[in-house]
Amino acid sequence: MQWSWIPQNWTLIWQYTLDNAFLGLVAPLIGLAISIPVGVACVARRWIYPPVLSVANAVYAIPTLAVFVVLVPYTGLGNLTVIIALTLLSLCVLIPAVVDGLRGVPEPVRQAATAMGFTQVRRMVQVELPLAVPVIIAGLRVAVVSSISLASLGQLIGVSSFGYFFIDGLQRDFPTEIYAGFALTVVLAVVCDLLLVGTRTLLTPWARGRSRATGRSAARRAVTEA
Amino acid sequence: MITFETVTKRYPDGTVAVDSLNLDIPDGRIMVLVGPSGCGKTTTLRMINRLVEPTSGRILLDGANVADTDPSQLRRGIGYVIQQTGLFPHRTIEDNIATVPLLTGWKRGRATSRARELMDLVGLDPATMARRYPHQLSGGQQQRVGVARALAADPPVLLMDEPFSAVDPIVRAALQDELIRLQAELHKTVVLVTHDVEEAIKVGDLVAVFRPGGHLAQVDTPERLLGAPVDDYVRDFVGFDRGIRRLSFFAAAGLDLATDTVLPAGTAHADAIAAAKHAGEPWLLVVDADGRPLGWAAVAELEPGAAGAALTEVGLAPVGHTFRPDTDSLRAALDATILSRTERAVGVDATGRVIGTTSYERLRDAIRAAEDAAASDAARVQQTAGEAG
Repeated sequence: MQWSWIPQNWTLIWQYTLDNAFLGLVAPLIGLAISIPVGVACVARRWIYPPVLSVANAVYAIPTLAVFVVLVPYTGLGNLTVIIALTLLSLCVLIPAVVDGLRGVPEPVRQAATAMGFTQVRRMVQVELPLAVPVIIAGLRVAVVSSISLASLGQLIGVSSFGYFFIDGLQRDFPTEIYAGFALTVVLAVVCDLLLVGTRTLLTPWARGRSRATGRSAARRAVTEA
Repeated sequence: MITFETVTKRYPDGTVAVDSLNLDIPDGRIMVLVGPSGCGKTTTLRMINRLVEPTSGRILLDGANVADTDPSQLRRGIGYVIQQTGLFPHRTIEDNIATVPLLTGWKRGRATSRARELMDLVGLDPATMARRYPHQLSGGQQQRVGVARALAADPPVLLMDEPFSAVDPIVRAALQDELIRLQAELHKTVVLVTHDVEEAIKVGDLVAVFRPGGHLAQVDTPERLLGAPVDDYVRDFVGFDRGIRRLSFFAAAGLDLATDTVLPAGTAHADAIAAAKHAGEPWLLVVDADGRPLGWAAVAELEPGAAGAALTEVGLAPVGHTFRPDTDSLRAALDATILSRTERAVGVDATGRVIGTTSYERLRDAIRAAEDAAASDAARVQQTAGEAG
C-alpha cells in the first residue's frame, strides 16, 4: 500500500468518484421514475403485479456484462448503455418497494381520503405516495448502493468509474490502486446511503418517534386525555 | 332529508347486504342505524356518499339522486367519521382538520384558522395540539380530531361509522356526550352506525333497528323502541331492562313530590309527629334554615314530650343521592329512591334547596302517567301518518 499515491492522484480520484456517483445515482432515480407509475398500476390492478415482478426478476438474473453486450450495438459505448443497464437492474428492487409501500397505507386512511372527496389522482399524490415514502426510500437505498457497486463494470466498455482503478491496478500489478477503488466504492455507497436516510427524515417528519409511540407513553397519554 | 327508495345492495357473490330498504332520514336529527354485524347498516351508510353503489333503488339527498352527483363533489359536502379515525398520519392535526376546506380551494390561512376554531369546538387545545401528528394523541383525542375534520367544511350531513367503538367505555361516554352537545349547537343531519343499542338509545333522535339480511325491523324514537318494540327480535335486541331504561325519556318534572313531610330542624317533636301521622309517613325529611336537606328522621324515634329539642337530635338517616326534578329523568328519581335506605329520595332545585320527596307510590303514578301520555302521543302520530298516507 503506497499511501502517497492518494494525494498524488487526487484529481483523478475525485473525477472517478463524481462519474461513479453520477451513474450510481441517476440510474436508480430513473428506475424510481419508472417504478412509481408501474407500482401504482400494480396496486390498482392486482393481476399485473406477478408478471411484472417476474420480468423484473428475470432481468436482474441476466449478468450485467451480458446486458452491456446486448445494448452496445444500439446505444454504443457510453454512459447511456451503463445507465440503461443499471436502471433495468434497479427495477426488481424498486417496483416491489413502491408496491409494498402503497399496500402498507392503512385501509381506513385510504377510505377516509376517498370519503372526504379526494379524487383518485389527488389521493395518490397527497396521501398514498407520501405515506409510502419510508418503504420506497428503503428500496431506493438498496438500489443506489448496488448501482454504485455495479457501475464499476462500466469501465469494461470504457465508461469512467471506479472500475478504472481495478483494471488499471490489475494491469500494472499495483495493488494500492485496487484497494483504493475498493475503499472508495464502499465510502461512496455509505455516503449516498446516509444522504438518502437524511432525505427520508426530511420528507417524513411525521414518522419521527413513531415507533416509540407505543406501550407506556400511549397509556400515559390516554390517562391525561381530557 | 335523506331518502332511501327501495334500495338493494347485492354483491357479485350473491350476498344481499341491504334488501329493498325504504327509509327517511329527517334534517337536523341524529338517526342511528343499529343491528348485529352483517345486517347491512354500514353498507346503508356508505351508499349515502357513494362509497358503495346500490344494485337497485335510489338514494335522494334533498330530493336529488346522489348517483347524479360527481362522487368527489358529493363527498366534500358530507362529513365522514370512522371507527379507526382514518386520520392522515403524515399531516398535523390542523392540516388533517383542514383537509376538506383545502380540497375545496380555501386559502391556507383561512383553512388553518377554521381548523383551530374546530379544535376549540371539540375540546382540543389548538395552542398545544395543532402542530402535533395523530400518533402523538390518545385514541379519544384522535376521534375528536376525526369529528372536527368531518365538520371542517360545515357540511349539512355527517355520516359516522361506529365512531366511538374503538375507545374505552369512559372515553366513549364522554365522546357521546360531546356529540349530543355539538348537535344541540350545530343541528346537522347525522347518520350514525353502531352495534351498541345503548349508544343508539343515548345519542339517537331516531333509531333504525336492522335485522340480519339487510331488512329494517323498526324505525322509531328511542323511547318508543323501548316502550313498544314491534316484535320479539327488536324486544330481544333492545335488552331485558328496557322498561327501566325507557324511564330515561320521561322527565322527573312529572313527579308529584311530597312537601308536607319536609320540616325545618327546629320543629317541635309533637308537631312533627302530627304532620307524619297526617301524611301517613314513617319518615320526615329534616332541612336547615336555607331549606337544604339534613337527613331523614324516623317518626318512631321522636318523643312527643320533648320540648325544645331539635329534630336533628335524633339520629338522622343520610339523605343519599338527590335528583333535580327540572332536569333529571324519572330513571334518576327511581334510582335515587331505590338507593335510599328510607325508600324515599329528595328532589332539589339548582341551589340544593329541597323541593319535595319521592316514594314508590309517587313514582308509580308518575310512570303510569308518562306511559299513558306516550301511548296517546304515539296513537296521534300514527293517526296523522295514516291521514297523510
